[in-house]
Amino acid sequence: MLPGSLLRFSVRGDEVVPHFLLENDLPWLRALVDERERFVGRRTCELEERLREPLPCASPAGKRTLASHVLLRLRGIQRRSAVPSRVARAKLFGEAARSPGCSDGVLASVAASLRVTPGELSDSLFSDLPGESLVAPLEEPLCPGQLALRTNLLLAQALLFRATKLTIEAEGNSRALVRHAKLRGLICTVAQREQPQVAALELSGPLSLFRRTLLYGRTLANLVPQLAWCKSFSLHAVCSLQGRPLALELRSGDPIFPGGEPRAYDSRLEERFARDFRRAAPGWDVVREPEPVAAGETLVFPDFALQHRLDPSRRWLLELVGFWTPDYLARKLASYRAAGLSNLILCIDEERDCANGDLPPGALVLRFRRRVDAGALVRLIESPGYPASIDTCLTGN
Amino acid sequence: MRLVFDRGTVLIPDTPQDVDLADVRGLLWDPRVKAYRAPARRYIEVMKDLGRRGIPFSDGVPFWDPARSQDPRGLVTAPGDWSAVALRPYQEAALCAWELSGRRGLVVLPTGSGKTRVALAAMARTGLSALCLVPTRVLLEQWLREIRAVYADKVGCFGDGHRDLSPVTVATFESAYRHMDRLGNRFDFLVIDEAHHFGSGLRDEALEMSIASARLGLTASPPRSGSSLARLAELIGPPVYELAVSDLAGRFLASFDAITLHLDLTDGERGTYEELMSIFRGAFVQFRRLVPEGSWQDFVRAAARSAEGWRALSAFRQARKLLAFTSAKREALRSLLNRHQGSRTFVFTADNESAYAIARAHLIMPLTCDIGAKERHEVLARFRTGELRALVSARVLNEGLDVPDADVAIVVGGALGEREHLQRVGRLLRPTPGKRALVYELVSRRTMEVAQARRRREGLASRVTAQI
Repeated sequence: MLPGSLLRFSVRGDEVVPHFLLENDLPWLRALVDERERFVGRRTCELEERLREPLPCASPAGKRTLASHVLLRLRGIQRRSAVPSRVARAKLFGEAARSPGCSDGVLASVAASLRVTPGELSDSLFSDLPGESLVAPLEEPLCPGQLALRTNLLLAQALLFRATKLTIEAEGNSRALVRHAKLRGLICTVAQREQPQVAALELSGPLSLFRRTLLYGRTLANLVPQLAWCKSFSLHAVCSLQGRPLALELRSGDPIFPGGEPRAYDSRLEERFARDFRRAAPGWDVVREPEPVAAGETLVFPDFALQHRLDPSRRWLLELVGFWTPDYLARKLASYRAAGLSNLILCIDEERDCANGDLPPGALVLRFRRRVDAGALVRLIESPGYPASIDTCLTGN
Repeated sequence: MRLVFDRGTVLIPDTPQDVDLADVRGLLWDPRVKAYRAPARRYIEVMKDLGRRGIPFSDGVPFWDPARSQDPRGLVTAPGDWSAVALRPYQEAALCAWELSGRRGLVVLPTGSGKTRVALAAMARTGLSALCLVPTRVLLEQWLREIRAVYADKVGCFGDGHRDLSPVTVATFESAYRHMDRLGNRFDFLVIDEAHHFGSGLRDEALEMSIASARLGLTASPPRSGSSLARLAELIGPPVYELAVSDLAGRFLASFDAITLHLDLTDGERGTYEELMSIFRGAFVQFRRLVPEGSWQDFVRAAARSAEGWRALSAFRQARKLLAFTSAKREALRSLLNRHQGSRTFVFTADNESAYAIARAHLIMPLTCDIGAKERHEVLARFRTGELRALVSARVLNEGLDVPDADVAIVVGGALGEREHLQRVGRLLRPTPGKRALVYELVSRRTMEVAQARRRREGLASRVTAQI
């Protein structure tokens, strides 16, 4: 992660303002990228030295150090050295200890024994070590805009690395955010929401209760790329900077590198179901990852919403359950009932029952094996009288 | 009511409504999960307080391993797993002091005096499941070797790409910091090597998140400042036993001579140095005028905000780089290496770049943090057998590394001050019959190195004085 001395921000009151690289930075970023190209084949520490010196055009010192840091860490296509570096070191320094004397003589004799020139041996000596390795050409040319976005992402993450607590309001992709946070040991609570389609999440770690700790900063920082995939988001963090807590705001539109396109579906199962359902029910829309639904003090993240095109009151939420036990389903259903969620269907894979036991009574459950039967589901939601009861257990194919 | 371990904390998830835990020591109400919570470090304290109040509870905190039928809590089951660990009288006294302090505290002994032996004996005598925390990957390997020599069962390793857990496990500080939320309830005893790294806030959470009640910190240079020392006392315990180099020199540690060689810059180097330093001084003096109490860090922060400050910092860096390996140092090093061809020699530099430059110029094997674990291991083995006579390093050799035979150190440059110097000198103090170690320090005249060298010597002198 970025050392503290490289962080570029200013403080306005109690707020941190990150100094992102913008369009007006592109000329000097171009010069930086050109310098890297010019140094291909020379030692990385020489490039590092050069990047500390003035550029042909004006550049803000702090931002330039930050961009240089990113540039120096880009790995290119590595060239193999004439002799593996470890072999070169073992032979040369071993021989030098055995026969002390003229360094050049020792270098020449070891090079001859390895059937390379002294120059090649010398070049191979530390070519595997950072700083001493040679600057390699990049696989794809880097444009200044890309360098700016990568730098901005690193800056945003580095600031969040010092975060003690996060609040995120996100539209879309909120399920991935919650999953990411929970898998990595954070406590995720639902905060007050203003708009129904927006999930408001508060993220912190267990130890945050006792002190302002940076222990969870890495996990919080790793959320940033996920945010770039949300339809819209705003993030509020409390960061420990300059020895005091400061507020950091990030929102959609900030120049943060997205790091790649999100996958449309989490699994083949989901993808296949969406395709099958669209074919089987032309009068219905299938919405992937609809807005989360509050269930008591927690949030439910359905996989799909099934919405009738002509009748807005006919809306079903669908969750595809992976590995499950009857207890797990019972708890899940209890929380849904408590929240008054009667339009939710659970699809459970019969082959993924992790315990022996009956399903909890009163569950609207569609069983499947490997593939959800879209036809059976259409029959269920189209049948007259629904939603009449959630006490039906259907069996699919 | 049940106590459970939750990611480095102790949680009481289902407090009965008629029980008030608000003033139980260590517990706080966590509104996020609607339960009482305490840092794992306070586990015993919480249990005792609940017991005193007569509040019934079941304890689900310690890790319960169903595979260990005899003692599923994970205690080291067979004392026979440990061979006898022979101790010198002062090591025995240190262990005794630690036990008398309720199995908590810092043992402060000079480098080379066998702190690890004290820890091994403590683990063997207590028979507790133990997690040893070490600062570097090099020390991880070394501790594993040392424990395996006296402990017959499998030794776990957590760090440097390994994730093996056993009742006796060694972990790096970084791995412990990142994974103590899962490891925190598995060990009853924490051994913390180079414990002075804790107490300043950095990675302290690793110690917060463990339920271990027995804690032994080892260091040669404990922090002297009030706040760090107080925090260490909270996390590990207070200093319980302390000896200085002079207490052991001659009998248990080798004696040494420290020689400072004052060297001149060439005319070209002098001109460049003065030019760079005048750029730096201009900005620094101006900063001092505006912020008389400002620290170096304050200056760096302020300087990074202006082009002038930026130039000053750049000039300072270049001046330091110039001093790292001057022509005179190059010649002096050549001469010293020739003079001590038959000795085992460490060359210490300020940075890796200088280490590689020396390695190329004098064909000495570098041992830096960039060198992989396997190669490092081979290099140290070759150094032990005498196949390599000298090693050059910036920081890897500073701390804890067990290299028994070195007898000459040449300090070409340093960046970290007195503590670093003390540790470097300590590398030479492992005793062999008739040994008198030599420490050379190469200092460029009329440069910033003169003051640095003076501070290092003062630091060394204060630690050489008895401090029992």
